[in-house]
Amino acid sequence: MSPDSQQDFALAFLSILFEGVPFILLGTLISGFIDIYLPAGMMDRFLPKNKFFAVLSAGLLGAVFPVCECAVVPVIRRLVRKGLPVSCALTYMLAAPIVNPITALSTWKAFQGQGAAMMTSSRLLLGFLIAVAVGMIVSKLPLASVLKAKLVESLEKDETKAAHDHSCCGHDHSHDEPAEENRLVAAFRSAMKDFVDVAVYFAIGVSITALFNTGIAPGAQWLDGLAKNPTAAPAALMALAFILSLCSTSDAFIAATLDKFSWGAKLAFLTFGPMMDVKLLFLYQTVLRKRFIVLLAIGLFLAIGGISIYWQQLVFAAK
Amino acid sequence: MNSRNRRILFSLAVLVWSAVLLYFYASGRITKYLAPDFRIISFAGGLGLAVLGLFNLLTAGQQAGCGHDHGGEEDPHDHESGDMHPLTAVLLMIVPVVLSVAWTKDEYSAAALSRKGLYDAPSAVSLPFLASSLPALTLEEIEKSHRKTPDGFLEFNLMELFFSSGDREMQGLLDGLKVETEGRWMDEKIRNPHGSRKRLYRLFITCCAADSRAIPIVLEFGKTPPEFPENGWVKVAGTMRFPLEEGVIQPVLTVDRVLAAEPPYEESFMRKK
Repeated sequence: MSPDSQQDFALAFLSILFEGVPFILLGTLISGFIDIYLPAGMMDRFLPKNKFFAVLSAGLLGAVFPVCECAVVPVIRRLVRKGLPVSCALTYMLAAPIVNPITALSTWKAFQGQGAAMMTSSRLLLGFLIAVAVGMIVSKLPLASVLKAKLVESLEKDETKAAHDHSCCGHDHSHDEPAEENRLVAAFRSAMKDFVDVAVYFAIGVSITALFNTGIAPGAQWLDGLAKNPTAAPAALMALAFILSLCSTSDAFIAATLDKFSWGAKLAFLTFGPMMDVKLLFLYQTVLRKRFIVLLAIGLFLAIGGISIYWQQLVFAAK
Repeated sequence: MNSRNRRILFSLAVLVWSAVLLYFYASGRITKYLAPDFRIISFAGGLGLAVLGLFNLLTAGQQAGCGHDHGGEEDPHDHESGDMHPLTAVLLMIVPVVLSVAWTKDEYSAAALSRKGLYDAPSAVSLPFLASSLPALTLEEIEKSHRKTPDGFLEFNLMELFFSSGDREMQGLLDGLKVETEGRWMDEKIRNPHGSRKRLYRLFITCCAADSRAIPIVLEFGKTPPEFPENGWVKVAGTMRFPLEEGVIQPVLTVDRVLAAEPPYEESFMRKK
């Protein structure tokens, strides 16, 4: 890299880093405290009994329990084991990283001067609608076609165990409550672990973005060329979101710098990324069947891409 | 790696990030990277990281329970294991930050500026919020809203001059007006057959330097221009013109005088505190 390129990379890299880090920290602190202080059964209490309304409510749970996409997978794995319907769990899994106050705030801040209110509301609405649609489809599918075989087996075992009466089994099921200061330490450790996990992907993502942003990366001109194509641009940015694997609390700061791309393409980037990326592909495999993950990825790509293109035309035709 | 060492390593990585954020804020260099609204947020982030890193560093050896059942082998989750080896994670976090701190000169090179619109025609740029920055629409109001230098030049913001090229009414008012403005000095690489031109620009930062755009005007000297360092700050006074060049209206300042100037406090000149 020439000295000029080093200087350009450094300026772009540090500026995006300075802008995004506070929002990652806020997200991971909240996520860490939820991880330790929130009992798994708490979420069930927020959901209505009716299946349709339960899925709708699950799509909004992120507003109350905000977690990013990295933290949400272990959470839903635990929730499914605790009896939360799979349709609700998947709706929450897809919606929570987008439909939450931290992501809304970071998107709004990142797009100041670029139609922040429209981008934030469109992102939240599209994220919610897509997650609910997936939840409704999943509610019609058999568990075995969605969840990993091992998880289905363990759920079936748990159902059998539930019939087992604890009052006469002769052993104690209670756990010693740890001291409050120990839980605080655990919460900070969980927050730091989440921060490091996210910071690593963020640093990689920001590095790649800085290379493209300043024209150092060899494909920068090619990517710029795609930016003008109304169909290829959202597809290219969704592919970029998939590769970059950014956290939903900070991805808006990257999207906002892609100034050659249309508003609709950025919306696709911001909606697809938190639902499907390289790291999520691995995380999803701890819960979901591979076939289901592939179908989910294709479905999300087509639905989000199509809606973003349509939405772009609608918004700009109205102006 | 055992849990205690992993916590110490992660805490140190977090503290390095914290130190970088706090240093750039405290030294004032943050003004080259972020728009004003984001600087205090960045500072708060640096402080928050310091608390997170120090707390975990000081309690690294302490026993702590999360207070819920992990469900045995079928639910292997814990609250501290990450996606990758701790050393790899820390290196990926630290190396690009340390390199960037070492490499940065707090400004872009000419090549990056060119990509950020340094040589774009004004009409090719459209930023919706700029209307509010344009001056009033009568000459009297323009004179009232802009200070006059002792030698009779009206002090203009560079952005006003740049975007006037896209507004016929403004062009009519500013054409032939004697103005003074400030910006960074750069070579003129297009439409400069006699070598009598330079370019004056400032960066418009919406949120951060990565999303910034160069806002340029052309300086016409009519002879060989004086020498100033590339990217150095200058104050220029002259007469504003809007000639049609290769089918594009260009904002051109025919220069009467140019002096080296102190960099202004704000790189991001659109935002108000």
